[in-house]
Amino acid sequence: MSEQAPGRPALRRPPWFNRRTAWLVIFVAGLVWSLDQAGVFDGPVLNRGGWTLALQFVRAALHPDLSGALVRLALDSTLTTLAFAVAGTALCVALGLVFGILSSEVFWQLVFPDRGRRRPLRHRAPLVALRAALAVPRAIHEAIWGLFFINILGLDPLVAVLAIAIPFGAITARIFAAILDETPREALRALECSGVSPARALLYGLLPQALPDLLSYTFYRLECAIRAAAVLGLIGAGGLGYQILLSLQSLRYDQVWTFLYALILLSALTDGWSSFLRRRLHLANRIDLQPGLPSRDRPSHRIEPVAKRSLQAMAVLIPLSFWYIHADYARLLAPRTLRLLAGVVHDALPPRMDGGLLASLVRLSMQTLSMSILAIALAAVGGLVLSVPAASNFVLPGGILGGGASRAQAVQGALWFAASRGLLLVLRALSEAIWALVALFFLFPGILPGALGLGLYNLGILGRLMAEVTENVDQRPLRALQAQGASAVQVLVYGVLPATLPRCLAYVLYRWEVCIRATVMVGFVGAGGIGRLLGEQMSSFDYRGVATSLIAMLVLTFGVDSLSSWIRRALRV
Amino acid sequence: MPAEPAFLLRNVTKVFGGIPALADIDLRIEHGEHVALVGPSGAGKTTLIGLLNGMLVPTRGEIQALGHDLARLSVPARRKIQHQIGTIHQQYHLVNNLRVIHNVNAGRLGGWSLTRSLVSLFWPLEIESARRALEQVGIPEKIYEVTAHLSGGQQQRVALARTMVQDPRVILADEPIASLDPERGRELMDLLRQLSRATGKTLVTSIHSVEFARSHFQRVIGLREGRIAFDCAAPDLTPAMIDALYRIDRPDAARGKRPDA
Repeated sequence: MSEQAPGRPALRRPPWFNRRTAWLVIFVAGLVWSLDQAGVFDGPVLNRGGWTLALQFVRAALHPDLSGALVRLALDSTLTTLAFAVAGTALCVALGLVFGILSSEVFWQLVFPDRGRRRPLRHRAPLVALRAALAVPRAIHEAIWGLFFINILGLDPLVAVLAIAIPFGAITARIFAAILDETPREALRALECSGVSPARALLYGLLPQALPDLLSYTFYRLECAIRAAAVLGLIGAGGLGYQILLSLQSLRYDQVWTFLYALILLSALTDGWSSFLRRRLHLANRIDLQPGLPSRDRPSHRIEPVAKRSLQAMAVLIPLSFWYIHADYARLLAPRTLRLLAGVVHDALPPRMDGGLLASLVRLSMQTLSMSILAIALAAVGGLVLSVPAASNFVLPGGILGGGASRAQAVQGALWFAASRGLLLVLRALSEAIWALVALFFLFPGILPGALGLGLYNLGILGRLMAEVTENVDQRPLRALQAQGASAVQVLVYGVLPATLPRCLAYVLYRWEVCIRATVMVGFVGAGGIGRLLGEQMSSFDYRGVATSLIAMLVLTFGVDSLSSWIRRALRV
Repeated sequence: MPAEPAFLLRNVTKVFGGIPALADIDLRIEHGEHVALVGPSGAGKTTLIGLLNGMLVPTRGEIQALGHDLARLSVPARRKIQHQIGTIHQQYHLVNNLRVIHNVNAGRLGGWSLTRSLVSLFWPLEIESARRALEQVGIPEKIYEVTAHLSGGQQQRVALARTMVQDPRVILADEPIASLDPERGRELMDLLRQLSRATGKTLVTSIHSVEFARSHFQRVIGLREGRIAFDCAAPDLTPAMIDALYRIDRPDAARGKRPDA
């Protein structure tokens, strides 16, 4: 049966150069270009002068300052950061609900029922206009909002709350609108037919069904808000980030570590709460709620007691938070604030357009882009590697790579699991700005420390997400491979990665969009890119320059967003 | 032909969460035998297959597979033996995102080095033998297709081709045709019988259809509630044995007559 039948149709091997390999080549080229932009190929990047400081910093990790006064300060600033986050999230969700409903298709269909005909332009225009308007606050990083509000309100706790609420509110509005539009509409239709007004129809026919998803996303936003609140401290808004900055500037590394540990703890607690809640609500991954990502089957679900208790806890926490931050709420509408606001708007127009600024903005845009590419490459590769031991169904006993059930192997597996989970947690608990500050110990200012900071932070996030993807892989083909005698790595390469890579790639592309926005943050703390220029312009009140840089940043952000969704479509992930 | 049997089970019990799936099984399967496992759902057929290919470890008792106790071997040594045992599953258990060629070559992984398996993912190796295996199962033209795009019957053929290139001494099949329509099922059973006969392989198949058990196998083992109900040559199978095997005990039917129940 082995001889070749002469009439056998000749099947050609598919060419190795296909769409996927083409993208791989483009990616590698982009990476090399980015490394070149970062100056890796022309001169030293390591700052040997900073080694001693870096060593001191690392050593201090073992001896954090645990004196009574500092621990009290750490506790107070942790609570402040939490309060910023809770108050900011409360406002963000309020904004998100209002604008989410207003920017959903389903709302406008209730207002202007189409009755099977194409609606006239004047009926569609409000939705299109609102969606376009919401894209702008969303594209501006919370740190820029923070600096802006500091210039208007001074160093008031309101700065942090507003800087979180506005961009997060715009993001939340987009997600909420998508959730509402994807919620089944039969109940709504029924109410509509019986002549119920649009507002009531939404309230009774749509919102109850959408609630679990809305809730899950709200708690995810709270998680993000805690990191944002800590980061906003770095630009002077108070809380943990502010204390970290002060201790870092006075070279008190032992104190820095006390605050860092507090931040890690706070972040771990919210992270745990949020994922516990999601599991209980049987909700898919939080990022699956991003529009444009392939949606997963969402089982029907009801509000569980745990969610109810979480809501009750929030109901207590929100007023407490607004009280705890001791904000000067009168300042919001004070004549001075309004005058300053008008002044900023007046000073910013028209944007400065001189040739020198434009030329340097082009150069800085390229640098910022390359920073984001380096960061996301580091995060993608590192996250993929760490996601394997961090997935609960792999190295643990009984897992695919758990090997035999010998005691030593079980202990080894558990250690791998705990170490990788812990590393990922620490990486994402300390935000990009803090990692960039650490990188600045031993790298010269520029693209590299920024890319490293962004990369490490996103590695922590992507690693955890990819671990969740890996945990959801169908186990049976893996067991089948194993039953044939395939080794652990072979199971990984032939069974796991083919199943997980498409989804992981979608996450990577989504985080790239987040990365390009966050480049301003690492720029503010001294790494390179447009962020650094923006920070300098902000602090020298050069608002016309700020306006130009903001426009450059917006162009870059929208460019990366559309490139990312184009790649997603091209690779069908 | 070596002296030891293909499988030797002594007093094997497997317990899942306190409930015994198999109890006190003694069984000897010789090389080259074609054995059908029949019995109602939950009788322990899948558990028995899992024990035979080493994916499950018995709670009590001893299993010799190809002369080795799989529970006692080191991981690499166990893999060597497992490479001699091919398994076909009801749900195929293929990696859907990979092309057919890679799923077929996956049968070789136990004999390939890591480098070789990595290279093959980018530049498929051993195409000729994969092609031959696919020809034997009747779908050579699908070699470069993505597995997920194939129909159920075609996917089961890919799984069979995977086992062919693995070239094991024993083929285990767990309800291989339960997800196929009767016509595809018959074709696949014919194929399975013919391929194992031509290469002198031992074949152990769990199967729902008693007709196929009779027509395609030499020996039929009936499992009921975790125990061997009968073990006989296929021609000796009587309708009474089958009825007893699939009989449904209705405790509630007896109780239903009492007024207080």
